Amino acid sequence: MSWKPVCSADAVEQHTLREFDVDGITVLIANLGDEFRAYPPMCPHMEEPLADSALCKLDVMTCTKHLWQWNLRSGEGVSPPENNRHMLMYDLKQEDGQLLVNIESELEYDFDDEDDED
Amino acid sequence: MRVTITKKEKTYSLDAQSDQRILYAGLNQGLPLPYECATGTCGTCKARLVEGEIHDLWPNAPARSKLKTDRGEFLMCQSSAVTDCEIKIPGKLPTTDPVPDTNTGTITKCEKLTHDVLHFDVRLNAPMAFHAGQFVVMNVSSIDGGRAYSMVNCASATDTLEFVVKKNPDGNFSDWIFNSNQENQTVELFGPLGKAILHPDDEKNILCIAGGSGIAGILSILHHACETGYFKQHAGNVFFGVRTVKDMFYLDRLSEYVEQANGNLSVTIALSEHEGAVNASDMSHANLNYTTGFVTPVTMSEMADKCENTLAFIAGPPPMVDDAIKNLIMEAQLGPDQIRYDKFG
Repeated sequence: MSWKPVCSADAVEQHTLREFDVDGITVLIANLGDEFRAYPPMCPHMEEPLADSALCKLDVMTCTKHLWQWNLRSGEGVSPPENNRHMLMYDLKQEDGQLLVNIESELEYDFDDEDDED
Repeated sequence: MRVTITKKEKTYSLDAQSDQRILYAGLNQGLPLPYECATGTCGTCKARLVEGEIHDLWPNAPARSKLKTDRGEFLMCQSSAVTDCEIKIPGKLPTTDPVPDTNTGTITKCEKLTHDVLHFDVRLNAPMAFHAGQFVVMNVSSIDGGRAYSMVNCASATDTLEFVVKKNPDGNFSDWIFNSNQENQTVELFGPLGKAILHPDDEKNILCIAGGSGIAGILSILHHACETGYFKQHAGNVFFGVRTVKDMFYLDRLSEYVEQANGNLSVTIALSEHEGAVNASDMSHANLNYTTGFVTPVTMSEMADKCENTLAFIAGPPPMVDDAIKNLIMEAQLGPDQIRYDKFG
């Protein structure tokens, strides 16, 4: 276990995403209103930087590059129907108003991890 | 050269000449490869080289900054195969229809529409079928690299393609075509390409947001919709952004489509740099609407709460397209399957 501080909980506005550098690893924090999540910074579809390309409406995030959507809370793909790419997540906890993530190693999407198409 | 594309349980292959772009070769052989701009800017056609050698035709392509080159990532639209290759591509494979091909043609007409907008026709050596809203990548021998242009017209198979180009201070092609009459010059085309098309079975009202020469693909869609009687069942709303009254063009065509749609098509020209109020009685086409402001806010103020059962088409400069996408999703509550666009930038 390697819990590392990221930012204070009020550094990320509700229903937005913000990038932070954690010891050289870029982490994307989502404020879901009642909870936080931490992901690698790129879109699971075509690896677009989500800090630039994402729109958040409550729990649903749209990457505006190709309009693929995910549920930020569960990490599951929402649309299009073929979106079976799951958002990778770091474990996150909140202590004394600070957000901490558990980084064992940098999470990255890889072509080889994809489910095959039919 | 044989290029093999491996997905987990499926293998595709294509044959490519040593000087042929892998993307174009694959699309031409019916492979549904991912792409968007097809001209090195967007990065959608990135792939990973697993085995073999490729040649990078444009090492300074803007989309190169999005690649992990240390992991063998490259752009299929800017690379040719030097040896047989095995490559991987991300994502599900989309569908491609009709199959694009290389074609040649001759510029038969050049007509200035405003001080910085020019219409030109290309007479093809072989007829081409395309969907309303599609584009081609155009090359001329004296200029490096291809540019994407949407067709203004629409026809199931035609030997004449119509295009519009806006003068761009950094654009070699626009310099070439603006600075001297290029009628009778030969161009090479690859296409048709693009997914921002109107399907016959869409069954939705259409909302079009266009900036500048982005009106090209929208006119193609309107042409098709009028020809097929689409506006007998569905409404159309078009918002066309230009700077001033002097920058307006294609109003004859827009006015004609409004006439043909028999009350079911509304076209609004949004003038972003017009001073004072617009006096509609000063305008030449009485069946078009004129207002001031940037095209996306104008569209939102009129349409944000009227977008049920609507399909939106967006075309224009990339910042305008991005702004329109954002507003359609966040303000007009459109779902991703209700928005179509091809971003060339």
